[in-house]
Amino acid sequence: MKYVGRPIPRVEDELILRGKATYVDDVELPGMLYAGFVRSPYAHARVLKVDFSDVLKTPGVVAAFGPGDGEPFSFAPGGKVRYQGEAVAMVVARDRYVLYDALEKVAVDYEPLPAVLDINDALRPDAPLVDESLGNNVVHDKVYEGGDPDRALKEADVVVEGRFVVQRIIPSAMEPRGVVAAYDGDVLTIWSSTQVPFDVRKEVAKALGLPLSRLRATQPFVGGAFGSKLLVYPEEVWVATAAYRLKAPVKWVATRGEDFKATTHGRALTLEYKVGASRDGRILAVTGTVYADAGAYYWGEGLADTAAQMLPGPYDIRHGRLRAVAVLTNKTPLSAYRGAGRPEATLFIERIMDHMADVLGMDRVEIRRRNLIRQLPYRNVFGITYDTGDYPTAFERGLERLGYRDLKRWADEEAKRGRIIGVGFSVYVEITTFGYETAVLRAERDGSFTLYTALTPHGQGLATALAQVVADELEVPMESIKVYWGDTAYIGDGIGTMGSRSITAGGSAAVLAARRLKQELARAAEALLGCRPEYREGVFQCGGRSVSIAEVVKAVYRGKAEAQLTVEAIYHTEPTFPFGVHLAVVELDPETGFVKPLLYKSYDDVGVVVNPLLAAGQVMGGALQGIAQALYEEAIYDEAGNLVTSNLAFYYVPTAAEAPRYEVYFAEEPHPSKHPTGTKGVGEAATIASTPAVIMAVEDAMRRLKPGVRIDKTPITPEDVWRLLR
Amino acid sequence: MKIALRVNGVLHEVDVEPRKLLVHVLRELGYKSVRVGCDTATCGACTVLMDGRPVKSCNVLAVQVDGAEIYTADYSDEVMEKLRGAFKRHHAAQCGFCTSGMLTTAYYLVRRGVKSEEEVVEGLSGVLCRCTGYQNIINAVKEVAGL
Repeated sequence: MKYVGRPIPRVEDELILRGKATYVDDVELPGMLYAGFVRSPYAHARVLKVDFSDVLKTPGVVAAFGPGDGEPFSFAPGGKVRYQGEAVAMVVARDRYVLYDALEKVAVDYEPLPAVLDINDALRPDAPLVDESLGNNVVHDKVYEGGDPDRALKEADVVVEGRFVVQRIIPSAMEPRGVVAAYDGDVLTIWSSTQVPFDVRKEVAKALGLPLSRLRATQPFVGGAFGSKLLVYPEEVWVATAAYRLKAPVKWVATRGEDFKATTHGRALTLEYKVGASRDGRILAVTGTVYADAGAYYWGEGLADTAAQMLPGPYDIRHGRLRAVAVLTNKTPLSAYRGAGRPEATLFIERIMDHMADVLGMDRVEIRRRNLIRQLPYRNVFGITYDTGDYPTAFERGLERLGYRDLKRWADEEAKRGRIIGVGFSVYVEITTFGYETAVLRAERDGSFTLYTALTPHGQGLATALAQVVADELEVPMESIKVYWGDTAYIGDGIGTMGSRSITAGGSAAVLAARRLKQELARAAEALLGCRPEYREGVFQCGGRSVSIAEVVKAVYRGKAEAQLTVEAIYHTEPTFPFGVHLAVVELDPETGFVKPLLYKSYDDVGVVVNPLLAAGQVMGGALQGIAQALYEEAIYDEAGNLVTSNLAFYYVPTAAEAPRYEVYFAEEPHPSKHPTGTKGVGEAATIASTPAVIMAVEDAMRRLKPGVRIDKTPITPEDVWRLLR
Repeated sequence: MKIALRVNGVLHEVDVEPRKLLVHVLRELGYKSVRVGCDTATCGACTVLMDGRPVKSCNVLAVQVDGAEIYTADYSDEVMEKLRGAFKRHHAAQCGFCTSGMLTTAYYLVRRGVKSEEEVVEGLSGVLCRCTGYQNIINAVKEVAGL
């Protein structure tokens, strides 16, 4: 019985669908205290004084911590706050209603400073400084170069220049961040809505000077993350410290408004480009600068760099120079959001291809056909080696499977009836999978297996997918494998779920653990049987005799044979590269500029697909996030640095009414990665591919009304459409 | 103020501050499936049925429900079990945080005899989901509604 490749419903659902999944706010402990934060109303201000005299007189208030309390309470570092919503003080109380009243009683004296909110302003020599110690607002500046871009540009028949602005996104996981910490005088236990419990444990241990062995970090059910929970946040350290000092359980869960300001934002990259091509449409050189609007602290390292290094995408471009610059501004710190630089890279190069196609008067399919990489493995101009695939074949098959030509014809027909339909597509190559991952597998005496993973699933269904790959390796029923995750008591270290790496990194670790466990059990079985056994479906046999795994385990416990019944595998990975073609169909209302996504179709070569039901779920959910980036969402600040889109009422997360219908396809003959699972990752594919496909579709629709119109930003809102059409 | 409410058939008598929200009272009574995802009555994760109609329990004061009949996503009857089965088969839940609100809303739609996909979509549009892209949820509800 092979499980890999089958659309098996999730084992996780039993808890979720009965309301029994425990998220961090559901953790209740006797004597629980509640923490809350006083946050700056100013984008940039000196903090002159924090006065707790009133709040500490309030009944029910237990403690307050502020800038004067020393490390690790790093409130207002350097005596100032750098963005609206930065924490200034923390109050701990016995009841949440008491807490929120009490927070109002903390008196803070601020001296507002001029705020800098736009990267162009931040780069001016006279700009206010977000971090005085830098001397300017550029926190990172690195050049990636390959070939001879200057000569290639000089020799090009056509050179195009432009600028594309990607907005700031608020990741908006449905569960706001939160943390519970409890200290009983012996062990400090932390529950956090995080993607990185191992990092939380390390950071808190460091902050408090505790050995790792006295600290346990656990990840309860997490209500979505999308990269916004992959840093260790100050609140996690502060709440843990309060619990440690007060020797009591302390809980903090962000309100939505608080979460919008205190949880990292994503995207916010701008590309300035100059690209040269030959008359027949071959892109010869890509040059330019990727700017990241990094926000107040440089927490999201490498976003502009990833966008730069992956910008050549699936195209054979031999000359390039891209500068990656991160600029500090008085806004919420920028970090990963589903794709983290790769969606921007794809959007940038896909817009460049369209721009060049326009200038050359070439079809948008044809220009891509002429530039696609023909032979894998392929080392791109910035030194990244794409592993496996057949891009030209997948491109043609993808367009055919998605019905691109038919849909274009249908849109022409509908135009005769007065409907404005746009059809767009995108091509992407994605880099996934980094670092190592850990799995611990234990054979139980009844023949069942317990798998501990260092992955940190938060909706992906990894408990199901891991059980599938391990069941296949052990040749046992999936139901005999129970998967646990997110707890440093099970596993010493690992990384977690992010970057479309989970089943490739953590699944491969689990496969290796299963292989080692089989070897261990085979050793014991040999001792019991007196001959070297064959293994099949949970049974060792040779010489006409056999023992089951359960019998081997029992024999080991009785001292009749020796084996490790618990094995650990630490798997070190290398990047792997999914490829795909996605298609979007939209309808435009010329009166209002409103764009309705009608249909979204995808064709991906993501290597082995462990569970097509779950993989399709990743594609559809990712697609809607990318569609929303194209059409709806944007974190908007006013000129004083107030976050105007300060909660879900003002920030446009799409509802069921905005969702298109989806059709999800995976390549019939995929190109596996070289990892034990053969997978390449699917979590971010559609977030990467959907935004450029939708933007092309909107532009296609608009050109039915106004030829030559070009979109150079996301989102393209109804107002933008309306203005561009006039 | 003393109030009495019936939750999933069980009677509770509680003493609440007049300003206390229904969602907080339900969670304190142990109905943790009622979740808080925003402060503006936008996300719908706290949706429960109050006397048969879906309400966002963050938008209702506990004192308003004195004498009311409340159903949460923990409730079990034939329709709710069918919805659970369909949600599972269609992979309609990912992180699960919105799922309670989706289930209670879907329960209302099915009981009311929803007639078309458009009605399902409109009915579900008061609950935000960030993970699924909605199609699997819509398909699960349609299946149970016999559409």
